[in-house]
Amino acid sequence: MTIATKISSSSAAGMIKAIESGSKHLVIKRFTLRYPEQKLKFIGDGYQFDPKRGVGIAGSRGRHILFHDKCTGCQLCAIACEGIAEAIGMVKVDEQWKHNKKSIMPQIDFGKCVFCGLCVDACPFYALYMTNDYELSSFTKEHLIYTPAQLAIKPKYDGNVELKIDNMGATHG
Amino acid sequence: MASIIRLILWILIIVSLVGLPLIFIILFYLPLPPVNGDVLTPYLFLSMMVDPTRTLPILHFIIHTDLFKVAVFPGFAFAALLAAVTIFVERKFLAKMQLRIGPLYCGKIEGILQLLADGLKLIAKEIIIPSGADKPIFWAAPIAFVATAAAVVALIPVAPGWVVANVNVGIIAVFAILGFFPLIALLFSWASNSKYPFIGGLRALHQMIAFEIPFFLSALSVVILSGSLNLTDIAKAQHPYWYIFFLPISAFVFFISSLAELERIPFDLPEAESEIVAGWLTETSGMIFGLIQLGSYVKVYALSALFVVLFLGGWAGPQIFPKELAHGPTAGLMGLLTLQGVYNGVTVNAIFWFTVKTFGIIMLMLLPRGISPRIRIDILLHTGWYKLIVLTFINMFIALALIYGGILGPGGLLTAH
Amino acid sequence: MEKNLEHQIDESEKLGMQIVKESEDDRLMTLSVGPQHPGSGHFRFTIKVDGDYVVHCDPDPGYVHRGEEKMCEYRSFIQNIPHLERPVIHDSANITYSYSLAVEELVGIQVPRRGQFIRAIASELDRQIYTLYWLAIYGIFLGHSTMFMWPTGDRELFIDLMDALSGARVTHAFNIPGGVRNDIPDGFKDKCLRHISYFEKRLKEYEDIFYTNPLFIQRTEGVGILTKEDAIGLGVTGSVLRASGVPYDIRKAEPYDVYNEIDFKVQYMKSGDSLARAYVPLLDMKESCHIMRQLLDKMPESGEVRAKLQPTPKGPPGEAYRRVESGRGALGYYIVSDGSPKPYRVKISVGSFRNMIALPHLLVGSKLADMPSVYWSLNYWPVEADR
Repeated sequence: MTIATKISSSSAAGMIKAIESGSKHLVIKRFTLRYPEQKLKFIGDGYQFDPKRGVGIAGSRGRHILFHDKCTGCQLCAIACEGIAEAIGMVKVDEQWKHNKKSIMPQIDFGKCVFCGLCVDACPFYALYMTNDYELSSFTKEHLIYTPAQLAIKPKYDGNVELKIDNMGATHG
Repeated sequence: MASIIRLILWILIIVSLVGLPLIFIILFYLPLPPVNGDVLTPYLFLSMMVDPTRTLPILHFIIHTDLFKVAVFPGFAFAALLAAVTIFVERKFLAKMQLRIGPLYCGKIEGILQLLADGLKLIAKEIIIPSGADKPIFWAAPIAFVATAAAVVALIPVAPGWVVANVNVGIIAVFAILGFFPLIALLFSWASNSKYPFIGGLRALHQMIAFEIPFFLSALSVVILSGSLNLTDIAKAQHPYWYIFFLPISAFVFFISSLAELERIPFDLPEAESEIVAGWLTETSGMIFGLIQLGSYVKVYALSALFVVLFLGGWAGPQIFPKELAHGPTAGLMGLLTLQGVYNGVTVNAIFWFTVKTFGIIMLMLLPRGISPRIRIDILLHTGWYKLIVLTFINMFIALALIYGGILGPGGLLTAH
Repeated sequence: MEKNLEHQIDESEKLGMQIVKESEDDRLMTLSVGPQHPGSGHFRFTIKVDGDYVVHCDPDPGYVHRGEEKMCEYRSFIQNIPHLERPVIHDSANITYSYSLAVEELVGIQVPRRGQFIRAIASELDRQIYTLYWLAIYGIFLGHSTMFMWPTGDRELFIDLMDALSGARVTHAFNIPGGVRNDIPDGFKDKCLRHISYFEKRLKEYEDIFYTNPLFIQRTEGVGILTKEDAIGLGVTGSVLRASGVPYDIRKAEPYDVYNEIDFKVQYMKSGDSLARAYVPLLDMKESCHIMRQLLDKMPESGEVRAKLQPTPKGPPGEAYRRVESGRGALGYYIVSDGSPKPYRVKISVGSFRNMIALPHLLVGSKLADMPSVYWSLNYWPVEADR
C-alpha cells in the first residue's frame, strides 16, 4: 500500500527535460478533427432497445426515428419522458393504421430533449429507435419540433474519420 | 443622375480651391532634390514618368531621406511588420507544440489574414472607460507605450549606416528609455481606478525595476570589451568572433532579463494572472488594447535586436548576395533592371543576416511560453535581485580578465585590425 | 459560552460593533474572487488581504444550486438518472453508480456479474475523463497553456470510448438501477487496450513537462500543507486525503461490486502540500489503467447485463446508504423510501463540499499569489458541491 514517491530533480535537469519534451511535440502530428470537412464515424446504426430481452443494443444516441408501421399510440414514451424533459407530446396523424386505432403518434421537441434514450427503453413495440444524426440546428425554435412524418425519415450521415494511433502520435483522419 | 453631377461639382471646387494652392505651397517649401545635376521640377518629374528608367535616382533620394528612415525602413513600419509576423508565428508555433492547429479560417492558406481580422475587430469595438478613471492619463498611456517602444527601435542599427539616430551614447540612451516603461504601467494602472489593475501595476513595477539592474550590468561587460558606447561601433567591433563566445553567462542573464522586461511567460505576473483578472490591462478595450499589444510586440523586436547587436555580431555574416548586379555603370533599361545606384550588396546582405538572427532570437523567446508555468512574485524578486546580479559580476570579471590578459581589446591577440 | 451570550445582544449593537471593527482594519483590502472570475469556476469566496498575506477567507457556495435533492422526490427511481448526472456531466458514471447501488439495496435485486464488470469499466473511464479535465484547468490557472491543451486532447481518447460504449460523449445515462443499459459493442475491448497503452506513454510526457518542471515545483512545494491530523479532523476525502499521508480509498476500504477481485495499490503521498495534491491524481490515473486492464481480462464472456426490473420499481419502506469513490472523493447517497415508486428523500453527500472546509484553513496565513495553486489543488468542482 505504500507508494509514497517524492519528485526530485535538480533545476537544470528539470528545465532541460521540459524543453526536450516541448520540442519533441513539434514533430508529432496534430490531433485536431477539422470538423465540417471531416466527421467522426460511428459504428452501427444508433441506440436500439430489445423489449423482449430487456436490454439495449449499443449505439450512438442522436435523433430519433419512428417506424410508423409499428407504433400503436400507447403513449409509453411520452409518459417516460414526462419526468425527465417533457419533450414528447402525442399528436393526431392523418394516416390510418390497423394497429393504431386512435391515430396518434409522438412528436419530439428537440429543444427540450436531452437524448437520454429512456423513451426508447420504454417502447414495447420496436417502434422508436435512435440514429447517428446529431446535426439538428435550425433558425427558429418551432423548426426543432419534429412531427411524426419528419421523424420517419432515415438520416444520411457519412462520417468516416476515426481516431488513429500510431507511433508518431494519435490523430484524427 | 443629379447626385453624380453634384459629386463632380464638389470635386472640381475642392481641387481648384484647396488642392492646387496646397500643391504650389508645398512645392515652394520642399527642398527639391537635385537629380543628375538638374533640379526636380514638375516638368522633369512628368518626363520621368514617361521614361521609367530615370526614376531610380528619385528612389535613391527617397530612401536616404530622414522621413523614410524613421517611418519605414529601420523605423516604425519595419518593426510593426516584424511584430505582426511574430504574433502570427507565435500562435502557429504554440499550436503545433500543443498538437493543434492555430488560426485556420481567415485567409486561404492556414489563416494568414488572422491578424488583419483581429485588427479590424479591435478598431470596431467600443472603448469603455471606467467612471472615476483619470481620463487624460488613460488615453495618453497606451500611446506613450507604443511611442517608447518605437523610440527604442530608433536606436538600433540594422546595417552599416542604417540607423535612425546614431547617438554616441547609444546603450545608455536605450536603457534610459527602457526605464520609462514601469512608469507607464504604474500610471495606467493607477488611472484605471480599480482594484485588480492596482495590484497588477504594483507587480509590474516591482518586476521591471528588479530586472533592470542585471540588464544593464550584463550589457556593461560588452561595453568593456568593445570600448565604445555607440551601438554601431559595438556591432563592428565583433568582427572575427562574436561576443557570445566570450561572455555566455552575460548573454544568458540578458536574455532572462529581457523576458522579464517584456512580461512574457514565465514572467507575465502583471498581465495575465488567474487571480487578478488581467492585471494592469484589465480596463483596456478596443483600440487601447490593440495599441498595447502592438507596443508589446514592437518591444519584443527591439530587445531581440538589441541582443543581436550586443552579442551576436549585429549584421555580420558571410556575403551571399552579389556586391553589384552589373559590371560597371550602365544606363537605360539595363540600368533600371540592375537597380543602378540603389542596390548595394553589402547593405542587403547585412539586412538579411540581421533579420535572420533577430528572428531566431524571437523564436527562442517564444519557446518558454509553451513549456513553463508562471512564476511567483517572491521567487521572481529573489532571482532578480540576488542570483542574476551575482552572475553579472562574475561575467564582468571574465571580461576584465580578457582585456588585461591581452586577448581582446586594442592590441590583443584576437582583435582584427 | 460566549457564543450563547452573543445571541442575546441586540442586533443593531452587533452591527455597530462590526462596522467599528472593519473601519479599524482599513489596511485590509477585501477581494471578492467571485463567480464571474476566471480564477474560480462558479464559486465565490471573499478574502481579506493585508499586503500580500491572506487574513480571512469566507467561502460562499450556492451560485449554481438547482435543488437536485428536492427534484428527486418528484420522479420515479429510474427517471431520476438523467437528472442526477447533471451535477458532474463528464463523471456521470460515478455519480449514478452510487445511486444505483443504493436503489438496488432498497428494492432488493442483484445485478448480474457481467453487468457489474461493465459498470466498473465505465466508472474507471469516467474517472480518467474527470481527472484529465481537472489537470487541464490546474495547468492553465498556473499559467501553463500547454498543460491545458494536452490533457484536453488526450481526454478525447476516453470520451471516444465512452461514446462507443454508451452512445453519448458526456452525461452518459449508462448506469441504471439493475445494471447497465446496453452491452459492450464489437471491437471495444481492442480499442480500449490500444487507447490505454497510448495513454500510459502520454503520462510520461506530462511528468516531463509539468511535474518535474522546476518552476512548477517552486510554486507548489511546501505551499498549503495539510497535516495528517488536520486532514482526518476536518473530514476531507479523496485525493486530498491521500496526499496527506492517509492511504484511504473506498474501493479498498469498503469494496463494492467486483472491486474485491481486482488487485491494485492505493496511491498516497506523505507531504500534504500542493505538489502532493497535484501528483496523487496522476498516480491514480496510472493505477486506473492497471485496473481497467484487469477488468477487461476478468470479464465473463457472456451473460446478462441488466437485472429485470419493472419500469417504476418500488420496494418496501426503508433506507439505504451507499458510497463510491469518484474523482473528487467519497460520493454517498442516502435514500429513504416509503413504499411508493418515488423516493421520499434523497440526500447526496459529495466530496467537493466536504473538501471546501479545507479552503479557509489553508488559505489564511498564506500569500495571495498562492491562492490558485491551493484552491485548485483541493479538487473542488463547484457545480457538484452546490447540487
